[in-house]
Amino acid sequence: MMEWEKQLHQLADRLSYLKDIFPGKHEEDISLLESRLEGMRKKLETCSQEEAQADMTSLEDLFFFIECKLEDKLTPMDKVRIVRHPQRICLRDILENVYDNYTEIGGQGEHTNDPAMVIARAYITRKRHGKVCHQPVLVIGHEKGHGEEFRNGGSAKPWGNAKAKHYMGVAETEGIPIHAYVFTPGGYPLEDYPGAAQQIARNIYEMAGLTVPLIAIFSEGGSGGAEAISLADKRLMLSHGYYSVISPEGAAAIEGRLRGGARASAELVERCAKDLHLTAEDNLKFGYIDKIIQEPVLGARPYHYEFFRTIRQEVIRATDEVVLAARGLAPLRAATLRRFRDRELNLDEISVRWDLSRKARQRLVERRQNKFIKASHRECQNRRSVMGRLGDAWSEQWWEIYNRLIYDFYHRNRRTFANLLDELGSEWEMVKLRAMKPWNRLRRKPVVENTAAEEELTTLSEWEESDRSGWAWVSDKAKEDRAISCPYSAKRGCMDMWAPDLYNEFAGVCSTCGHHFPMEYQWVMNNCFDENSLYEFNTEVEAGNPLSFPGFDEKIAEAKRKTGLKSGCITFEARLDGVQVVVAILVGSFRGGSVGVAEGSKFVAAADRARRKRYPFIVYCHGTAGIRIQEGTHGVIQMPRCTVAVRRYIESGGLYLVLYDTKSYGGPVASFLGCAFYQFAIRSSDIGFAGPGVIKNTTGIDIPPDHHNCYKALSRGHIQGVWDRRDVRANLRQALETMGGRNLYYR
Amino acid sequence: MRDIAEVMEELKAAPYTEREVCAPHTGVLRFSDIEEGARVSGFTGTWKEIPGTHIATITREKNPCKVLAAERGVLQKLYRDLDGSFVEAGTPLGVIRHYLTRQEVVSKLLKESLYAFCAPERAKYYFVPDVDKKVKILGCRTVSIHDGMELFIVSRMKREAPLCYSGPAGIIYDVYFDQTKNVDAGSPLIVVCPPEQQSAVEDVVARVQSEWNEGE
Amino acid sequence: MNKQHKVLIANRGEIAVRIIQACRKLGLDFVCVHTAEDACSGHVSLALELGGEKSLYRISSYHDANELLSVADESGATAVHPGYGFFAEDFRFARRVTERGRPLVFLGPSWRVIRDLGDKINTKRLARSLGVPTVPGSDRPVYDELEAEKIARSLFDFQMQQGIARPLVLVKASAGGGGMGIEEVYDIDMFRQVYRRIRNYAMRQFKDEGVLIEQRIKDFNHLEVQVLSDRSGRHPVHFGTRNCSIQSTGRQKRLEVAPGFDPSSIHYDFDAKALLDEIVMHSLNMARKVGYDSVGTWEWIVTRDGHPFLMEVNTRIQVENGVSAAISRVKGKEVDLIAEQIRTGLGEPLGYTQDDITFHGVGVEYRIIAEDPDNGFAPWVGDIDRFSWEEHDWCRVHTHVPPVSKENPYTIPTEFDPNLALAIIWGKDLAEVSANGLAFLDKLRLEGHDGKGEALKSNVEFLKKKTERILRF
Repeated sequence: MMEWEKQLHQLADRLSYLKDIFPGKHEEDISLLESRLEGMRKKLETCSQEEAQADMTSLEDLFFFIECKLEDKLTPMDKVRIVRHPQRICLRDILENVYDNYTEIGGQGEHTNDPAMVIARAYITRKRHGKVCHQPVLVIGHEKGHGEEFRNGGSAKPWGNAKAKHYMGVAETEGIPIHAYVFTPGGYPLEDYPGAAQQIARNIYEMAGLTVPLIAIFSEGGSGGAEAISLADKRLMLSHGYYSVISPEGAAAIEGRLRGGARASAELVERCAKDLHLTAEDNLKFGYIDKIIQEPVLGARPYHYEFFRTIRQEVIRATDEVVLAARGLAPLRAATLRRFRDRELNLDEISVRWDLSRKARQRLVERRQNKFIKASHRECQNRRSVMGRLGDAWSEQWWEIYNRLIYDFYHRNRRTFANLLDELGSEWEMVKLRAMKPWNRLRRKPVVENTAAEEELTTLSEWEESDRSGWAWVSDKAKEDRAISCPYSAKRGCMDMWAPDLYNEFAGVCSTCGHHFPMEYQWVMNNCFDENSLYEFNTEVEAGNPLSFPGFDEKIAEAKRKTGLKSGCITFEARLDGVQVVVAILVGSFRGGSVGVAEGSKFVAAADRARRKRYPFIVYCHGTAGIRIQEGTHGVIQMPRCTVAVRRYIESGGLYLVLYDTKSYGGPVASFLGCAFYQFAIRSSDIGFAGPGVIKNTTGIDIPPDHHNCYKALSRGHIQGVWDRRDVRANLRQALETMGGRNLYYR
Repeated sequence: MRDIAEVMEELKAAPYTEREVCAPHTGVLRFSDIEEGARVSGFTGTWKEIPGTHIATITREKNPCKVLAAERGVLQKLYRDLDGSFVEAGTPLGVIRHYLTRQEVVSKLLKESLYAFCAPERAKYYFVPDVDKKVKILGCRTVSIHDGMELFIVSRMKREAPLCYSGPAGIIYDVYFDQTKNVDAGSPLIVVCPPEQQSAVEDVVARVQSEWNEGE
Repeated sequence: MNKQHKVLIANRGEIAVRIIQACRKLGLDFVCVHTAEDACSGHVSLALELGGEKSLYRISSYHDANELLSVADESGATAVHPGYGFFAEDFRFARRVTERGRPLVFLGPSWRVIRDLGDKINTKRLARSLGVPTVPGSDRPVYDELEAEKIARSLFDFQMQQGIARPLVLVKASAGGGGMGIEEVYDIDMFRQVYRRIRNYAMRQFKDEGVLIEQRIKDFNHLEVQVLSDRSGRHPVHFGTRNCSIQSTGRQKRLEVAPGFDPSSIHYDFDAKALLDEIVMHSLNMARKVGYDSVGTWEWIVTRDGHPFLMEVNTRIQVENGVSAAISRVKGKEVDLIAEQIRTGLGEPLGYTQDDITFHGVGVEYRIIAEDPDNGFAPWVGDIDRFSWEEHDWCRVHTHVPPVSKENPYTIPTEFDPNLALAIIWGKDLAEVSANGLAFLDKLRLEGHDGKGEALKSNVEFLKKKTERILRF
């Protein structure tokens, strides 16, 4: 009797799982199962063993049949629900079943700095030349803990991500591969030191140059939180998982223009889930994951033991492939791996050492960087002609050769020579001084003529006044005859200012309290660099609608019309007191400054140009709302992609400087902007990971109105300084003089 | 100093304040679609970040500026006939009847029953810098003062002069001035609670908590 | 002149009273403003008396340009008179007034003139370019420490040569003003230290390291040249000189005399007449050069040995304009400089030349203030319940204090400058004006008490004492 109970219980479980995954859908199938299960329960009380056995089997078959049927009908939103279900496998199940032994590092249940992020050392046992050997790996991942409250649903806090980054470094030191399991709905939007965005940016920057193999396995890839541990050599994805820029509910709230925590309708959420293209198939097609691991029907749950063996085979295979490709010296084994399909090969029997030589490590990093730089390349709309592109390629080559010649050869040797000359000169001066000493004693000091001195003190002197009495560029807002109130007038007693004064002479700064009103991006662009020194490039790159997101074509066309720009990123070369620099601007007025493929591509190209020409690279973030959600993972992938470009630039010896203005949130701050060593903000700007509304919705914490203010960001350690808008030029000049990399030869 | 019970009875007899809403500056007035008798609220929210009820808009130099209710209460009067006209600074626009909150009652009681240090002359007052800092960061009740201590700066006629506190030693229990506004001679600036009176004060607070019902 | 003009008087107190009177004299309509604090001021009652309800508006602050302009539009004003203080020398206000959607006439110089002459370095360089003497030292911001030290050194040498016993050098932030970021150096060895301190202060405070280095002149008289020009800016005339050397410890003027020196009755160590002519000539040269188009004052300091140095230009009507008017006649008639400022400001040509202006006698202006001269001139605040003086044809009193009595006192507002009244005394020569002045002060009654019941303190005794010393170097 006990056994029946157990089986019934299991079936009831499966039924309630179905109900959870398909709320309000497929009601016929579900009620059929429900009534049959109820019938079975009643029958069991009366019928015989044999009869029961037969009925039970047929009921189980029916369950399986219907589950298979529903599996075929899974919508993207159903998959999101599967992933979020407490019964879904979690990291602990994987540690238990995929690895042969493991120890959790720095955490026992809730006694850890962040229970959402779990670190473990584990090993996989394989046979090498007939002998058993343990191959150690570092496992990093989000722990959802089957819905345990304190796990926070797998949303890692800044210190959780910091822990992950720390242990990546440990793995690097020990030379062991990393397996990262991505089970997160997103980063937890806390601004405590150093801030969610800042920490994720640091993680991504770290991974962009990490010298050990890194394999990421996606189950739930929620935007920035996912990117924090997933800039990997190979990215695998569970077939029922999702990888997205935003939760479908979040997208629906934005699409439906809902405010203050109002809920979007189920249909809208369902539609957004579809339009976001967040499934494993979609992401494989886009090339943002490398392989799908097929799950059991309706998603993997802890009792699918066979599935853990599949994962095990796949992670081993992925690690092997990465190692062999980096090593480039095991043709037979690499070929074997390529040839045989999943189940035909027992990887436990093949031996691949997972440690790498110094050269191989370099190759590994280079391959990883190239992989991400190339990501989403296809999606970028570049209207530049073939001849134009050919010309660009030529000039790029030329700059490469030129700079090699000038900087690596000429400058280095010239400097040595110049130093030598200088030394010799100083010696000669000394000789001269000694020789002339007796003679000097005889000579007398000349008498200073008094009239000359008096004239100097009382008559007009020569003075080339730098005529910066006005600003070169003035906002149209300065043409309006009206008064403007400072938002802080009640608190700080500011008087209303006249718009033509405020937006022209005052540069948008309240003359009483110093509050900075938002200004157009053109203000910094045209007032902070040498006049007529701007040369824009890559103007032909256009923002598009790579996901064919419904209704977005019109919106992007509208943004282009309104701003007269083709994308939200302007890249140009300019001079600052004669020093050549490359500048990228994220334009806050172009779709909120959101970053998509076009913006990412222009950014990467600008970083590359700066690297090639050995110019400082300045990014002026006029404002950004985050990753452009309508581009889905095409947008998200710009986070690691651009960060890789930045890391390449910085490591080749450049100065990368970020200046924030107005409001900067989300993905860009959590990656390529936030990873800069030198980040500054214009006064009155806001910087953070998620806006106040999102924080309230996701964490329930009410935050003060100035929570994201740049001074708060400075106190927390997000940024390195706050600048007055009127001093941007002088401060940039100062920054060029005092900060930066070894290859900036303008000094 | 008076008997607390007596003051309390007085307050109970008249638990309201009626305050005029005035035009903060000149301009053309437009009332919002608020009616007489409407409930209004002042700034609310954890950080007083949610603005009060919108009563009117005054447009000056093409800049519309909202007049908001400063406290919770009922809009008792609204001078509708001003709608659309040019108003001078300080013109009364309406009256808000405000039911005293517990905190305000406590504050009033303390003003009557504790030692109040009053402004010697009409001027603007502020605390000396280090006291000011302490008051702003830690609250006034962390500041203990004694007779002869240099406590205020008096500002008038564009000149500033120090002012010493005189009275019993104790902590500053409450502050009654706003450093942007003039204080009339004889109005209390602060009330001071000597250590031995601390328990009595706590009694007052407890009593108000239990006896005073916050209406409306 | 177009009598359709209506003048907004963007000021308070005594000057507002005088502008109202000048408008009346010219037959112009006017509109006045006041704050709640100032409701009892004399300019309010005069406006009501002469212009009625429609010519008076209550505003939140005299400092708020938006209040003034919204009243200007509402009342249909076509011109703005800023008086002195407040917006008088604010070129942005002048610019806004004249360039806004509904432009008004700004009764003062054009905004460019205000801006250019408001900049001390610019004024000094302009002066030097015209050969006008200025205080020895740098005329542009110095950024280099070695250069700064060189200038300081030659300034010390220069003063030694001139026989100055204790030479002093002033180091000041070029972007500063109002006495902030200024330090004296009396020893060249101290210079670097002071220079660095001021430079760092300037960097912190004004984001500009520029420093000016000048001679510090200790022993001097403060002289002024009163200039007037119409909108053409081509024919400036002067209304003589003034001596404003008698000041309070806070360098606030208390007693002004016109003309600047009186060589006919006092002996000076230098040729005083030639000196006065020289500073008048220089002032007019500069006015012509910049196209000065209103009333203005060129401020000079004159050393004991008779060297003049241009200090600055005040691009506004000054408090003491009346004392210059008292000694001047245009074609034999009395002159009102405020009315002249309004008349020419509204576009009317001057209508006379320097030859038509003649000077007679000596004028003295007393600033009567409730303050304690024995206690650092600390302002006294309270109620005035008696304020009277004897009327004479040689005396004119301007005040915004309304008629007071014991029952009906006037409370001095705490927000503003403490000036209560100006008394302008005339005499045919120095001896007569001194005698008249003392007679006036003797009969002056100014009484009151404050919140503590203490009696009013005033500077009348101080003025009496100083009357004996006027025009003596």
